[in-house]
Amino acid sequence: MAEQKIVLRTEGICKSFNGVQVLKDVDLEVLSGEVHALMGENGAGKSTIIKIITGVYVKESGQIYIEEQPVEIWSRQDARGNGISVIYQELSLVPELSVTENIFLGQEIMGRFLPDRKEMRKRVQALIDRYEFKINPDAIVATMGMATRQMVEILKALSIDAKIIIMDEPTSALSTAETEKLFSTIDTLRAKGVSILYISHRLEEIYRLADRLTVMRDGINVGVLDHDEITPERVTTLMIGREVRKNEKTHLREPNKDHVLSVKHLKYRDLLSDINMDAYGGEILGIGGLVGSGRTELIKCIYGALKQSGGEITLDGKPVNKVIAKNIVGGMGLVPEDRRTEGFFPVLNIAENLTVASYDLLAKTGIISAKNEKQFAADAIRDYDIRPTTSTVPVGNLSGGNQQKVVLGRWLSRKPKVLLLDEPTAGVDVGVKAELYRLMEDLAEQGAIIIMVSSDLEELVNVSDRILIVHKGRFFKEYLYENASQNEILLASSGVDTGKGRLL
Amino acid sequence: MVLKPKTIRKLITIGLVIAMALLFGMSTESFFTVRNITMIFRDASYVGIIALGVSFVVIGGGIDLSANGIVCFVGMACARLGVLAGFPAPVIVIVGLLAGALCGYLNGLAVTRLHLSEFITTLASGYIFAGFAVFLVFRENGNVASAAVTNKAFLALGGHIPHTYIYISSVVWVLLAIVVYIIQTKTKFGLHTVALGSNPKSTMMSGVDIDFLKLIGFVLAGLFCGIAGIFQVAYQSASTLTLGDSMGFQAVAVCAVGGVVLGGGKGDAMGAFLGALFMVILLNGLYKISPSPSIQFIFQGLIILVAIFFDTWFNRMMEKKLFSDAVRKRKNQTPLGAVKAEG
Repeated sequence: MAEQKIVLRTEGICKSFNGVQVLKDVDLEVLSGEVHALMGENGAGKSTIIKIITGVYVKESGQIYIEEQPVEIWSRQDARGNGISVIYQELSLVPELSVTENIFLGQEIMGRFLPDRKEMRKRVQALIDRYEFKINPDAIVATMGMATRQMVEILKALSIDAKIIIMDEPTSALSTAETEKLFSTIDTLRAKGVSILYISHRLEEIYRLADRLTVMRDGINVGVLDHDEITPERVTTLMIGREVRKNEKTHLREPNKDHVLSVKHLKYRDLLSDINMDAYGGEILGIGGLVGSGRTELIKCIYGALKQSGGEITLDGKPVNKVIAKNIVGGMGLVPEDRRTEGFFPVLNIAENLTVASYDLLAKTGIISAKNEKQFAADAIRDYDIRPTTSTVPVGNLSGGNQQKVVLGRWLSRKPKVLLLDEPTAGVDVGVKAELYRLMEDLAEQGAIIIMVSSDLEELVNVSDRILIVHKGRFFKEYLYENASQNEILLASSGVDTGKGRLL
Repeated sequence: MVLKPKTIRKLITIGLVIAMALLFGMSTESFFTVRNITMIFRDASYVGIIALGVSFVVIGGGIDLSANGIVCFVGMACARLGVLAGFPAPVIVIVGLLAGALCGYLNGLAVTRLHLSEFITTLASGYIFAGFAVFLVFRENGNVASAAVTNKAFLALGGHIPHTYIYISSVVWVLLAIVVYIIQTKTKFGLHTVALGSNPKSTMMSGVDIDFLKLIGFVLAGLFCGIAGIFQVAYQSASTLTLGDSMGFQAVAVCAVGGVVLGGGKGDAMGAFLGALFMVILLNGLYKISPSPSIQFIFQGLIILVAIFFDTWFNRMMEKKLFSDAVRKRKNQTPLGAVKAEG
């Protein structure tokens, strides 16, 4: 192989938000014609370093070099001017325009009066030929599938002579066949000398594509691996570090097999197929897996917020209703993933947010009893330690942690039989996390069924009594509290079987 | 050859216009007469010209409901000048056009500088512009009165092309439709407007000044309202405070019927043109069958509902087709092998 130049290099990049340092002296190096992967857990600092390179955030210290020349990047335009292009997760194409129009949007080549369509089309065709893409330059983007749209996006990057293309989880919206198509495109680009910085959670993709891999943990570059060194064990060890189990559970609860939520052969569109599980009273059942693996859809099907395509869900032997309101009366509750859009009502106050799902109890005659409502809210604020304690403050003004306590409190006040939680502690600080865990534990002690979807490995391992891992729309592995570890779960999420845990 | 969804949508509208004309032509005797056809094209030209202007805003993802106020204001201004003896007609026209464009400019400023919602802004400004017209209205002893426009050259604009039955406004409408069509499909401004309505964020990220696009869209909408106002006053040879009544909603409705869908990015001048023609043919034919205004209102409303329902359905079908193509591909795949663990 010819001597490869360094295309992009960062040196000692630091960044902090609100006094919390999220990047510490990050050095990163991408060679020409290299697919360089970047991995790390959520919050490891991957996105932050990418945003600094692409001009979305401004670094605090450190230096970025392009082809060993120091450059200053203050804006997206600067990044683009330096040959850095990003393929965004949510694609940035204009659906109603053609491929050519999209590629030249804002940079049209002008004829005398009108844009010179012929010339633009010619240039796009030349680009398509050069990189051997199978795209029609006149096709309207709205009529294309996701993978083809992504290729247009890549083409757009290439049209401005990108030296390095950054792809952030590019396969998350693609089917397997489309993914294979993207991979062969990446192979072609590499052969033509284009550098790619590839961010993904999926080990198998990294193994298939990457020439080298940089792993980040807690804002630090913890290691660079060559292709031959990329093995699941080494990668997960780097990502997780030395594993210590905090607050070891002192006593394990015995699940109550008489109180059971049972899912049989559940199917949801082409996302979930043949999901089978039993969740018991008195147990916190953790559900792990990669983002987009269908976990959220699973609990939304149970709750009645999504209509399953097949299979059945029963609670204590009786079929679960398809109407959310009836499920709530039947003792079910859901703490959704995106609390801002699905969880709370920002302009309503704490009391209203707490009581909104309990008017069946508070307004038996159809008229809300102000006295009961006030009492209900006051009890919840005291029991769940919600701050501020004034029930008339709009929930939109609360901190993330207290907002989540309100959402959780809404259900806890009803003494639910089944509580479904989706990423319950996302964006919540450590202190509140511990309180939320305590509330969940208390509810489990009282015999409720708790199902918790989480991407936070530490949380899954430490809070769950039992963990099920979803991989490609099915349950892949089951771990009990005693034999669960972050390493194991990370591997299982990528479909790697280490022989530990129970294969399903 | 595979037709693009855009083309299919247009063919459907053309088909509907023809079907509607044939239907009324067969059920009433007076439909296919020279007099009636020229009347249809005259009536359609007023709402049609406004719809052409408003289509810029709608394609860009916005909405402009202020046409009623602008038409009323422009009409009153022109009528005021039209009664002055010896006042040059071209100046009246220029004043009318400028007044319309100015109203549009104010709309645009409110939307782009004050970041007000387009719906509320133009709903409110429609009332404000109509209020300006009340300032200008003729009064006799303090009471609103009507005065006939006497400027001959100006009044000629409302009539036929000499020695034909064709109204000047109809010809101007057709010409404007062609010009607007070219602007919307061939120029940078047009493409950028489609992009804005289709995906504002990425349009902005592509370095396009989207506030400028919105502003120009509103100015054009106002200008076209001015043109329509001038023709209407010239035809009626007087202006009233009810001139332009409900034009704001009608123009948007006509756009929707022609496939210039609210929400943006879809349709073009041809759609706005056909939509206006379709709507006026419908009203004309219904009037011949039953002169009751209730029937006309009900049908007008129903057509808008059907048009919007149809567009939603149509777009979903097109997406579904895409989706099913993707699923078919997915079924023929071989699964990716997972990485085997060592040891």
